Amino acid sequence: MATRHKADAPPRIDGYAPLASYAVIGDGRTAALVAGDGSVDWLALPDLDSPSVFGAALDSRRGGRFALAPEAPYTTERRYLPDTNVLETVFSTERGSVRVTDAMTLPDHALGPQRELARRVEGLSGRVPMRWSVEPRFGYGCVPTRLGRRGSTPVAGAGGDALAICSFDAGTPEVADGAIAARLEAHAGTRAVVALCAARAEPLVMPARDEIETRLDATAATWRRWTESLDYAGPWRDAVVRSALALKLLVHAPTGAVAAAATTSLPEEIGGERNWDYRFCWIRDSAFTLKVFLQLACGPEARAYFWWLMQASQLTHPRLRVLYRLDGGARAPERTLPLDGYRGSRPVRTGNAAAGQVQLDTYGELLQTAWLYATTGHRIDRDIAHRLAGIADLVSRIWRQPDAGIWEVRSEPAHFTQSKMMCWVALERARDLAERGMIPGRHAERWSAEAGAIREFVETRCFSPEKRSYVRSAGSSELDASLLLGALLAYGDARDERWAGTIEAVRRELADGPFVQRYTGEDGLGGSEGAFLACSFWLVEALARTGRVEEAASMMDELIGLASGLGLYAEEIDPATGAQLGNLPQGLSHLALISAALAIAETTAR
Amino acid sequence: MSVWGALAGGFAGTLVLTTALRAGNELNLTRIDLPFLLGTAFTDDRTRAKAIGYVLHFVVGLAFALTYWAIFLAIDRSGWWLGAVFGLVHGLFSGTALTNILLPLIHPRMGRPSTAAPSVALLEPPGFMMLNYGRQTPLVSLGAHIAFGALVGGFVSLAG
Repeated sequence: MATRHKADAPPRIDGYAPLASYAVIGDGRTAALVAGDGSVDWLALPDLDSPSVFGAALDSRRGGRFALAPEAPYTTERRYLPDTNVLETVFSTERGSVRVTDAMTLPDHALGPQRELARRVEGLSGRVPMRWSVEPRFGYGCVPTRLGRRGSTPVAGAGGDALAICSFDAGTPEVADGAIAARLEAHAGTRAVVALCAARAEPLVMPARDEIETRLDATAATWRRWTESLDYAGPWRDAVVRSALALKLLVHAPTGAVAAAATTSLPEEIGGERNWDYRFCWIRDSAFTLKVFLQLACGPEARAYFWWLMQASQLTHPRLRVLYRLDGGARAPERTLPLDGYRGSRPVRTGNAAAGQVQLDTYGELLQTAWLYATTGHRIDRDIAHRLAGIADLVSRIWRQPDAGIWEVRSEPAHFTQSKMMCWVALERARDLAERGMIPGRHAERWSAEAGAIREFVETRCFSPEKRSYVRSAGSSELDASLLLGALLAYGDARDERWAGTIEAVRRELADGPFVQRYTGEDGLGGSEGAFLACSFWLVEALARTGRVEEAASMMDELIGLASGLGLYAEEIDPATGAQLGNLPQGLSHLALISAALAIAETTAR
Repeated sequence: MSVWGALAGGFAGTLVLTTALRAGNELNLTRIDLPFLLGTAFTDDRTRAKAIGYVLHFVVGLAFALTYWAIFLAIDRSGWWLGAVFGLVHGLFSGTALTNILLPLIHPRMGRPSTAAPSVALLEPPGFMMLNYGRQTPLVSLGAHIAFGALVGGFVSLAG
């Protein structure tokens, strides 16, 4: 069932819409953010990790947008069409109401544009004056964009990129002042269409109206079929399904990679410097991703993701990069863009310097992912089996090194406890796969011996008897919510008293109601950040897995209530205001939500 | 002057021309895609259009190479530099008469200035010197055609 979210016209601050007001629509290759006032403030073309053509979310003056709204004061009621990623917005004014349906359409067999953003405007009652305006700004608004016409169709281009605005019964588009704009009056029974048709490295395709409308309807039907294929009958079904749909938008269909989020540099603190490009695939998220795909019966996504992971990591074997590009490439040089940033949050970055860090936890994530894949009836071929064994050998050699940890701190490397736990997971999963005959086991004894040494290191140097908890790093007294991942990925017995103590310590020192901070202590960056939503869901799952199901369910209810009106989550939330912060939709938040719901359903069923 | 030299030159020249245009795409200089333009004249399926287009592009490349060869025979002179001049003329002809005027007339899915209220998806026409596909397109296209001509002329000359 789709939730309708009704609100007054969402207020902008300095031209910026609240992050929680954004809906996301996409086609498996790229995604657009649609604000509550009908403005598309983010769209990268042709792919999710390409430069933006609409970037008003990062610079309201220069970024570019595709606005579509009544010219009279209005309230809005928004929802996704049931079980789809097609957005429906009803604008109500004193003079009548209008329904706008937005989608990035999915290609069909007809010759269509490379990418198509379709917007259908239907008059429901009265007579409502509407205006739409497309301000394309290629290359994150940093490349001069030329506007013109092909026949009667307005077009815009820059270098090898171009777009056409095909409109039907949507007024007479004017091309002036860097914008393509028109007015129309929507009255009961009228129907208009405005479509953005984009091309890179090929001629533009300008489709006919019926083709656009057919694709729009077919897109909704395709999403409904995909949702019907999901296997989930547990609690919070609406939230789980919406999370799965959001996650599907982050799957890069051409390769199977899953982006961490659809955006770059939406800030973790308003006005702060913690602004990162998340349009990459993090190895850190791999185990959660595969587990969720497998448990929701998304077989094709699981297989594509695993094979992408194996192909991408082959480039750097046996070392792993922290993140890879969606095309599997390993380079992601970080640079800053001359943009204002969301509400002045600078710098605006593309690329991600974390790619070059050493993060030992990634090895555990990768081997856990391979173990999940192999032990659920999927075949691992000989080459991959050898590579997995090689990675276990590498972990045996390097686990004693300090690293940047799961949170990619930019302070000095340290012996992070979670990293060591994940090294233990890596070697244990490798040993188990070797015992099952799935990977070569010549060095299995060494893996077991080193796993024992890691365990001794963690239990003696990374546990605080005073706090009765594991701590952030060896010898420290700081806490880190990522420690909970140890319990979730079976480092030891989740019902052990050390885990009970750690969960209590996290609740005591890092949590405030449903809000959980990532860690205490330094990270090499200035400023602060909000509560990290994935950590909240990890705490829910840890509670469930340690038998405290009622507490888990209660906290889950609170967290579900914190979602945006459309059921989406960014990376973080400001506990003081409830405002969402960081890039969105955040894959890890949605993965952790699904995983927590599955854990509660599983524990309850037992 | 051997016809086989012309055919070999035509093949190599088309290979280089296609690669140069593709490189222009990747460098964000142009949106020209000749195989796509040719293929969509026969099918509206993108994948099949590109496959058909590549085959057609090589056939057209060989046909132009044979035309060059016929002119070399007629004037009893050949060479890479003369081929390069032919390539320049060929490129100018392609950018003006061939793709700007003739192609929109015969391509069933390409828009023309007179087109209105389309009933089928329309491909963006190339425009004069294919400038619709990006400002650098004439340079990329002329460079690629000069390379094509030089290779045909060179191969014909080498083959004796």
